Amino acid sequence: MMQINEEMIREIVTQVLQGVDLPQQAKPAVVGGRSMTLVEKGEAKPGTQADEVVIAVTPAFGKFQHKTIVNIPLSDVLRELIAGIEEQGLRARIVRILRTSDVAFAAHDATRLSGSGIAIGILSRGTTVIHQKDLPPLSNLELFSQSPLIDLPTFRAIGSNAARYAKGESPTPVPTRNDQMARPKYQAKAAVLHIKETEHVVPGAKPIELEVQFQ
Amino acid sequence: MTIIAGIDIGNSTSEVCLAKFGGQAGVEFLTSGIAKTTGIKGTVANLAGVVLALNAAMDKAGLSTSDLDEIRLNEATPVIGDIAMETITETIITESTMIGHNPATPGGIGLGVGVTRTIEALASTEANEQIVCIIPQGVDYEAAAQTINVAAARGVGIQGAIVKQDDAVLIANRLSRKIPVVDEVTLIDKVPLGMMAAVEVAEPGQTIKTLSNPYGIATVFGLTPEETKLVVPVARALIGNRSAVVVRTPAGDVKARTIPAGVLTVFGERTKADIDVDAGATKIMEVVERVQAIEDVQGEAGTNVGGMLERVRQVMGELTGQALSEMKIQDILSVDTFIPQKVRGGLAEEFALENAVALAAMVKTSRLPMQQIADQLEKRLGVKVTIAGVEANMAIQGALTTPGTAKPLAILDMGGGSTDAAIITRDERILAIHLAGAGDMVTMLINSELGLNDFDLAEDIKKYSLAKVESLYHIRLEDGTVRFYEQHLPPEVFARVVILKDGYLVPIPSDHPLERIRYVRREAKKRVFVTNALRALARVAPTGNIRHIDFVVLVGGSALDFEIPEMVTDALAEYGIVCGGGNIRGVEGPRNAVATGLVLSYPKPEAGGG
Repeated sequence: MMQINEEMIREIVTQVLQGVDLPQQAKPAVVGGRSMTLVEKGEAKPGTQADEVVIAVTPAFGKFQHKTIVNIPLSDVLRELIAGIEEQGLRARIVRILRTSDVAFAAHDATRLSGSGIAIGILSRGTTVIHQKDLPPLSNLELFSQSPLIDLPTFRAIGSNAARYAKGESPTPVPTRNDQMARPKYQAKAAVLHIKETEHVVPGAKPIELEVQFQ
Repeated sequence: MTIIAGIDIGNSTSEVCLAKFGGQAGVEFLTSGIAKTTGIKGTVANLAGVVLALNAAMDKAGLSTSDLDEIRLNEATPVIGDIAMETITETIITESTMIGHNPATPGGIGLGVGVTRTIEALASTEANEQIVCIIPQGVDYEAAAQTINVAAARGVGIQGAIVKQDDAVLIANRLSRKIPVVDEVTLIDKVPLGMMAAVEVAEPGQTIKTLSNPYGIATVFGLTPEETKLVVPVARALIGNRSAVVVRTPAGDVKARTIPAGVLTVFGERTKADIDVDAGATKIMEVVERVQAIEDVQGEAGTNVGGMLERVRQVMGELTGQALSEMKIQDILSVDTFIPQKVRGGLAEEFALENAVALAAMVKTSRLPMQQIADQLEKRLGVKVTIAGVEANMAIQGALTTPGTAKPLAILDMGGGSTDAAIITRDERILAIHLAGAGDMVTMLINSELGLNDFDLAEDIKKYSLAKVESLYHIRLEDGTVRFYEQHLPPEVFARVVILKDGYLVPIPSDHPLERIRYVRREAKKRVFVTNALRALARVAPTGNIRHIDFVVLVGGSALDFEIPEMVTDALAEYGIVCGGGNIRGVEGPRNAVATGLVLSYPKPEAGGG
């Protein structure tokens, strides 16, 4: 058993707050360096168009946290997800889920807003899931649980696959990497990031429609 | 009273029929048993399966081994089949003349013609030049679209684009003037620069019209009649695509080369005949039928077909432990097929459906060591074991217990490795033959034509019907009907084509639509089983004419298939033949024919005895 004392937690928190100490593992294909603005447009309503895929972001996404666990800018992440959907000829709609910081429940909430019944849920640290409205919340179509291993091409592929599910096609699941060391290496950071995300949860709050602008 | 067990060791299952002799009824059938055949048919390894099947039957009848008076084994036919396949055509693109890989999402619509130039060189391009823009890896779609828009605003005539990344729609959506964009070109560095090129993208659901037409290409590039003749293979290779690129290079070409497959020599009793494998399956089968009866078939040494038949001989030799020279091929079944193969010289991992020939070969070996099995079984169970009779004769006797049949009767036993036929005439004469090609060949055709590279999956596709999962609460079966579910289906089958295997949905990991998989499955079955049914019956028909056979009973594992019996029945109905799946003893369906025949062949004990 690992001993957890106050000093250790303090050390981890310092490390996280510095944010730059951890090695950047995933190499983005195109580092955009763009900044993005997420404009809140009031309560998100269920969509009726079958050609939309909803991307559900969690409370802190792009607002309090701006990088994934491996320091990929969230603006680039969101841009790639949207690009993947657009390349398939569909449209992306973005909502912020405030009532939970659990990626499965956030994504499942969003499937009910999605005209196609397909939604992508993403946490600020990068954990991503593709969900479908008829599935129970803790099930999924594709889950990318090891956030340190997801790079930008993977985010593009996730957007693309979600759009293909919405079209009724049967895409090959996005290949996921697996690294036994990711867990011990990032567990503490993931835990802290999760706590930081959860701080912004507003119980019972309605989902908010977002408009994204990239500069 | 005498208790008799008939045991049939087949290629895939061992079957038992248990009966009681004596009393008023003469013979009274008790129970039957079935188990998977262990090991290769005709080897001592079969014992385990035999004992399993026997015990199953004994348990059901409430008897034990000591009650048995005699076990009757079949004399297994010493024929073994094997299959092989070779491609006989090959498509080669030289000088990177064309890109025809059909990306899922090309961008823009229309036809654009211009000189190939990289996106970096656009800034230094003069206005009024007609350009096809090449966008390599690492260029962001927004940057690419902007560069093109800026150049176009300057007056550069950008007519089309070729992109490495999957960005075509993204770029096309951001252009001020719509141009056709083809993407996912893996080897974009090899696209020749400074050459005239044409890019065409059709509307969704349509196919290209200009670049798949030789005159279209001639119009685009201003070709002479001689040059137009040369572009025919290019146009042909692009037929059916939604997008394509053709680059005009000095010596570029697309060749559909025929790989010399070699010559087959069929040796008959009196004659021999040569046939080039390139001639196709129909011609090969004509020669095979003409030369009857075949003594051996050989392939030209050093060619594909030579290697193919050599492999078959080798496998058979290893199986039976006999010398290669003694392996005489008694029959071959040849089927035309196609295999998706990567095009040589392609820039975007293009695949072409290349022609191929599939061959099934049947090898006759010397007697299988049935006596060994009999001795071992006798030792193990302490019951008298007799080798009772030839498989075909026993099968006929068993098949005759199907209600509604009469002599003359023919049986068709469609198994995994071979198709067997036998006929009994009014005067009790029995004639049997064995043909190459059966279930395993169907599996091979499905596997290769769908490009699965998974023999077990192909086997499942052959055996079970298909469905498309349309939502998590309903699936559409291949006949168009819908089945609903109360509980949601597992997410891994969502939106997929699935096999309905024993109540489970097994997803097929491929892009093929349901209709295509179904078509390939049915065609493979028709090409093997219907062809072989007609071939087999023509050979056993006493007059050589199928019409003179009245009754045909289908037995064996493939008679249990959900569509093969219908296909054969349908094909034979044209000849006025009553054909259908057997129903042995009125209860067993098409199974247990040989085992039942073995029991029936037991010499009747004296009246009042037993």
